[in-house]
Amino acid sequence: MNREAANISEPNLLKNQIAGTRAQNPDAREEPSAQSAEPNIKMSTKGLKVFYGDKQALFDIALDMEEKSVTALIGPSGCGKSTFLRCLNRMNDTIDGCAIDGNVTIDGQDIYDSVLDVVELRARIGMVFQKPNPFPKSIYDNVAYGPRIHGLAHNQKDLNSIVRGSLERAGLLKEVEDRLDEPGTGLSGGQQQRLCIARAIAVSPEVILMDEPCSALDPIATAHIEELIDELRTNFTIVIVTHNMQQAARVSQKTAFFHLGKLVETNTTEEIFTSPRDERTQGYITGRYG
Amino acid sequence: MNNIEIDRLTPLAESIAKARRKKRYAAERRFRLYGIISISVAVAALCILLLSMLIKGLPAFYQTQLTLTVELNKEDFSDNGKIDATAIEEANYAVFLRRALRTAVPSAQSRLDKRSLYRLLSNGAAFNLQQRVMADPSLVGKTLTLDAIASDDLDQYIKGHIGSGTGGRLSKKQGIWIEKLQKEGVIKSSLSTDFFVAGDSREPELAGIWGALAGSLLTMFITLLLSFPLGVAAAMYLEEFAKKNRWTDLIEVNINNLAAVPSIVFGLLGLAVFLSFFGLPRSAPLVGGIVLALMTLPTVIIASRAALGSVPPSIREAAFGMGASPMQVVLHHVFPLAFPGILTGTIIGAARALGETAPLLMIGMVAFIVDIPSSITDPATVLPVQIFLWADSPEKAFVERTAAATLILLAFLISMNLAAVILRKRFERRW
Repeated sequence: MNREAANISEPNLLKNQIAGTRAQNPDAREEPSAQSAEPNIKMSTKGLKVFYGDKQALFDIALDMEEKSVTALIGPSGCGKSTFLRCLNRMNDTIDGCAIDGNVTIDGQDIYDSVLDVVELRARIGMVFQKPNPFPKSIYDNVAYGPRIHGLAHNQKDLNSIVRGSLERAGLLKEVEDRLDEPGTGLSGGQQQRLCIARAIAVSPEVILMDEPCSALDPIATAHIEELIDELRTNFTIVIVTHNMQQAARVSQKTAFFHLGKLVETNTTEEIFTSPRDERTQGYITGRYG
Repeated sequence: MNNIEIDRLTPLAESIAKARRKKRYAAERRFRLYGIISISVAVAALCILLLSMLIKGLPAFYQTQLTLTVELNKEDFSDNGKIDATAIEEANYAVFLRRALRTAVPSAQSRLDKRSLYRLLSNGAAFNLQQRVMADPSLVGKTLTLDAIASDDLDQYIKGHIGSGTGGRLSKKQGIWIEKLQKEGVIKSSLSTDFFVAGDSREPELAGIWGALAGSLLTMFITLLLSFPLGVAAAMYLEEFAKKNRWTDLIEVNINNLAAVPSIVFGLLGLAVFLSFFGLPRSAPLVGGIVLALMTLPTVIIASRAALGSVPPSIREAAFGMGASPMQVVLHHVFPLAFPGILTGTIIGAARALGETAPLLMIGMVAFIVDIPSSITDPATVLPVQIFLWADSPEKAFVERTAAATLILLAFLISMNLAAVILRKRFERRW
């Protein structure tokens, strides 16, 4: 559980932090107010309810996620952020006793529609998990697995270029290009997580879901991944769950605050951290509770 | 409230503490000793068993033979001088051997004595000579020196298990002849592979385990062919796809119970269903294999489920997240990781089936089978049953053969279990 925010009692301190981050990051997206066009909504939920048996975990969540941008989901432990994230690519289907009600759409299409193939959906919406979980295969086979089962490569040359391209975009190619046949589990934690990201982007998904991708990593690896997220958002829609508010401030454009299964507040990142509207949000970001 | 405090420094207190300490040390030592005694008893029992088997069984690999000079006179092959294949096949080879034996022991003159002398030779010696001449007809008319298999009585006498004279199985005269032959170096005892390549026989000196071994291998083949795919598929479905409800609970309880059912019950099932109802051939490795497969199936299912369940859910999640279908998740990811455990369970189940006797007795694999089975529908017997049959036989020579066959069976079981351990180590992958 991340209590780094505990020391901050002044919202202005966060505001300065955000300003500082943006100053350090010259490639950061322009302020939303400078956007001329209406941003496209890639995925959206309406009235989403999730039940684990008799217990209700999410209450009427309505959230829009913009395309080619990073949406962060923050909130204290057990508030339902991961549950919500897993609804977006129907991973909750694999859990016994999990019932979902409501509407989740991608590009306007309901993903819980019975005619939709869940396998194809998950090729469009990739996921990176909290603990790096590369397959116990070689690095090459890890990244090549997705393209292989979805038939994205016509021949070996195609596959090679897909694998190398994904590894390069994940920032891993230089470190592993001379040992692509070695098992993926032999890499360090940060490298494994980048491998998982490479594996996810190898199938060219439209959306990437990240469930606390850096919580098991050291600060340097975390920095690498945050850089990577910033590069990836030019091509992918990213939704990231994070415990670390500074991380949310650094990487995301929009933030949603969850509390006890309800979506309390959602706004641009800068607004949420500098002038939150709800007092629960205020309490969380100032560290009064975690 | 009692305010007595024992001052630790008083001599009385110290001696009490010392006594307690001694008792405690003694108790600890005794406790360890019990463990050592238990292990020693178990190891000693095992060693005694193995040693007694070895001592009893090793002589079975040695065969006693008589070195004889045999004259294959042409007149004895045919009356009209025409020596063709039929003549060679139908000639009486025992006559040649007996003549040679009489030459070696001239003191046997009376009919009774001659008959007594001939009993030192095995019936198989004549058969071997016939096979040899049929393979090489140019031997007709020649004199050759060969090793003829001795009878089981002579064999056991040489090995010191029976005696001669009053109370012994051989007569005093036979004892004298044997001594003479031994002095002349006619009798020799050497390692022979006949035990491994011959089928069963009423004559102990000719009996081998190859028939039973072939039967065992065929039966094992059917058992593995049936139990491995069925068991693994059932385990996969139960572990990965089946919903958790009362029906699956019921199935799970029943499978666990089936693993503990006495094996003879499966034999009765085989008798009633496969032999009586379906009319499959009796005594065939096919039926034996099916019965043993049913017996091994619960073991394979339980071991496979445990192996599949031990694969961490993070692997499955990663695969699902990549858009793999449920079948792809199981076949590409879960099964390869669970394979070592599944293999171990299967081999251990098969090793148990190899040593099973009771169910196979019920389906008739207990007959005296001389021919080596060549297909799964030929009548056959298996190694444990062969041991059982030989243990029942009256001839003294079968005692060592029973022990030798037991050694072979143990060797197979040990090597199968060793294979299970080695294969598991080799296929183990870390995640």
